[in-house]
Amino acid sequence: MWRAEIDGRKLSFHLTGINNQNFLMQDEQTGSWWQQVTGEALFGPLKGRRLDLVFHDEVTFGVWRREHPDTRVLRPDDSAPWKEFSKDWEVETAKMPVVTPARPGDPLPPRELVAGVRAGESARAYPWALLKRQSPVLDTLAGKPIVLIVGEDGRSVRAFERVVDGQELQLFARPGGPAGLVDAETGSAWSFTGEAVSGPLAGKKMAKVFVLLDYWFDWQAYNPETSVYRGGL
Amino acid sequence: MPIRLAGLRPVLLVLLILAALALVAIPLWLIRPFTPQTPDGLAIAYALRRAAPWGTALAAAVALFLAAGMWRRARWWSRALLVLAFVPLLGAAWLAQQNIFEKMFAPLAGARSVSAAEATWVEEKDPVLAVALNGEAAAYPVRQVAYHHIVQDVVGNVPVAVTY
Repeated sequence: MWRAEIDGRKLSFHLTGINNQNFLMQDEQTGSWWQQVTGEALFGPLKGRRLDLVFHDEVTFGVWRREHPDTRVLRPDDSAPWKEFSKDWEVETAKMPVVTPARPGDPLPPRELVAGVRAGESARAYPWALLKRQSPVLDTLAGKPIVLIVGEDGRSVRAFERVVDGQELQLFARPGGPAGLVDAETGSAWSFTGEAVSGPLAGKKMAKVFVLLDYWFDWQAYNPETSVYRGGL
Repeated sequence: MPIRLAGLRPVLLVLLILAALALVAIPLWLIRPFTPQTPDGLAIAYALRRAAPWGTALAAAVALFLAAGMWRRARWWSRALLVLAFVPLLGAAWLAQQNIFEKMFAPLAGARSVSAAEATWVEEKDPVLAVALNGEAAAYPVRQVAYHHIVQDVVGNVPVAVTY
């Protein structure tokens, strides 16, 4: 999700092409071409500029609605193509061929779903199946202690910087709680929103870290320096 | 000399047709789905796409000038050919104004929304791209965004492009 604005000028986007299975968009105002996944302008007057990321979540509607009962929801377009498309799109997409060549010694299959995290110049891919099994995953990326959590629905994911008031936290799954965590340092309980709900740290919040759910081939194409999380081994 | 130039006119006409077709066909070919793209290929596609609207119009205009010069002396079958020459020329000029990608996937320029209670078509387990900005929360079901690719909206007074 991108801020559709640059230097205070509002931009309207159109689809304009495909670059190795990630689409390109063109802004109406300058005609520059932008890469969807990176928000970077590849050609045109704004070449080299980047759109600001609007921090957002990819979670299930159930989770979001519980946290934001007043949320509004996009109204679907009633056109026929959308209805045709809506059936099994996830399954169909996963079966599509991949055009970028697999590199020798590639650690993951191209269509492996990963949760990608960036910190500074570092990037790391967390294979989704492994993440789901191990959640919460504690890691340190570019010197930043982080935690990735998969929601109880098995589909929602969030990441946080597990530091509060300069103190690094070791977090564990809280038995019984809905995707809840408990920290070893104070015994405070943490919710899926990254907020301490009880204990000495109650009311404290961990800083959010953006997670992109992506296919390995696409994540790797735009984050060539990425490492792959191996299960903490 | 005038005769020679006149003799070149059919050749020029054919070249104009080919150039106009190339202007629209090459970018489409370079950025078609399910094939790998290279930075150079993308740069060519971008340059041709920028040039296509006026390039194809110019080709059609020059062709019209050439055809007008040939018309008087042409026999009926040559005249028929001259008319036919404008099918690809005008076709290319029309195509240069079209956005084929947006015909396949219709982006939503002005998103409309409903309250969570009214969104009965979205199930609990459906993933959404969700955002809370300046006190306003909005959810975009991934299935819909994956179809439209671009949904443009304003959340908490911030213009956003939701992409997938």
